[in-house]
Amino acid sequence: MDDKRRRFEAQALPHLDAAYNLARWLARSSADADDIVQEAILRAYRGFDGFRGDDAKPWLLAIVRNCFFTAAGQARQRMGVPLPEEHAENDADALIDEAPDPELIVMRADQRQKLDHIIAGLPQEFREVLILREMEDLSYRDIAQVTGSPIGTVMSRLARARALLKETWFRHMEGVRHGVQ
Amino acid sequence: MACNERLRVQAYFDGELDASAATEIERHLQVCRECAELLASLDSVGGALRQAPYHRASVKLRSDVMKALDHEAGHSRALSGWLPRGAQFWPGAASGAAATMFAAALAFFALVPPASTQLVNDVMGAHLRSLMAEHLIDVASSDQHTVKPWFAGHADVSPPTADFPNEDFRLVGGRVDYVEGHRAAVLVYRHGAHTINVFTWAQSGEALPGVVTRNGYHSVFWQSGDLVFCAVSDAALDELMALVRLLKEI
Repeated sequence: MDDKRRRFEAQALPHLDAAYNLARWLARSSADADDIVQEAILRAYRGFDGFRGDDAKPWLLAIVRNCFFTAAGQARQRMGVPLPEEHAENDADALIDEAPDPELIVMRADQRQKLDHIIAGLPQEFREVLILREMEDLSYRDIAQVTGSPIGTVMSRLARARALLKETWFRHMEGVRHGVQ
Repeated sequence: MACNERLRVQAYFDGELDASAATEIERHLQVCRECAELLASLDSVGGALRQAPYHRASVKLRSDVMKALDHEAGHSRALSGWLPRGAQFWPGAASGAAATMFAAALAFFALVPPASTQLVNDVMGAHLRSLMAEHLIDVASSDQHTVKPWFAGHADVSPPTADFPNEDFRLVGGRVDYVEGHRAAVLVYRHGAHTINVFTWAQSGEALPGVVTRNGYHSVFWQSGDLVFCAVSDAALDELMALVRLLKEI
């Protein structure tokens, strides 16, 4: 294996899960996310000689995001509208719970699914800052690099995104409490 | 109306402020009710988001990516046209052989014989149960000299046992679980926030899958001597494989 490949595997590939998670939340479809990540990794590899820095994560995620836009542009031209997927595959995750009360487990699974839908329903510019900050734990500076926007914009979008999520989520919870879903 | 410090409160919450700015905001939070409420709500939104699914790359995607990189490397070699024609044959043949091996490996993953589906169900089920109930550990110890003899009296087999603190795979104990009718010995490791269960039972000629991923859990099967091993976890596959390598070397 040559040196470039070795360095790429050591620096970029550890962020494959992060790349997929971002692609999956942006595209809202696992098949599209697979394609986006494949394309992004290839582009990253081809451009790897130009990468300077010690953290490849924001660099790679920026490429993932660009690939998403390219793919989304092509999809729009085909008049395809991506729909949020059903999330039955996540139900098993809900089993990992300290309380083995089955009713509680079902309720948690429902809530996760609902939460998933709420996040998927947020406008893309809000969704991406939330994922990058809350799931990927990126700093404002790194988020600015990934999204190509100034730090001030990152901060205001993040504030707006959190407020939106809170509002929608608590409205949902309120509905649950009153028995209306 | 909206306090001017809202964005700085958020930056404080996200750990983006230096010490002196953080002290200012802490003082502000004591007098501004609106910002104190904001801080609490940032915390609750973060808590809600931690319940949202984190999507990991599948084993298939990982393989596809590696294959694409192999192809890319072969491609750039072919482009470097200084090699005489004959000399290009062997690297090409080698990458062809690599691709064939790769396809064989993929087929191996994809063609899990139906008999082993039950096996996968058993280990995945046992793993999930171990996380749910207080039934993770029967004998709690990081000492291999405690765990191994304990198995001798409780399980059908007593597998080689070791703790790997330097590699961040800490042995926390052992347990007995049923896998396809065997009383399997289970070693429990912690790796960061992840729990890894390593099942061992006596080989009885069953066909083994290689790596199976389901609902974000990876299970890796292998055989050593007359023992069958299976490591299950939600840790990343390469991390799980690192433990598998360590266990194979005991």
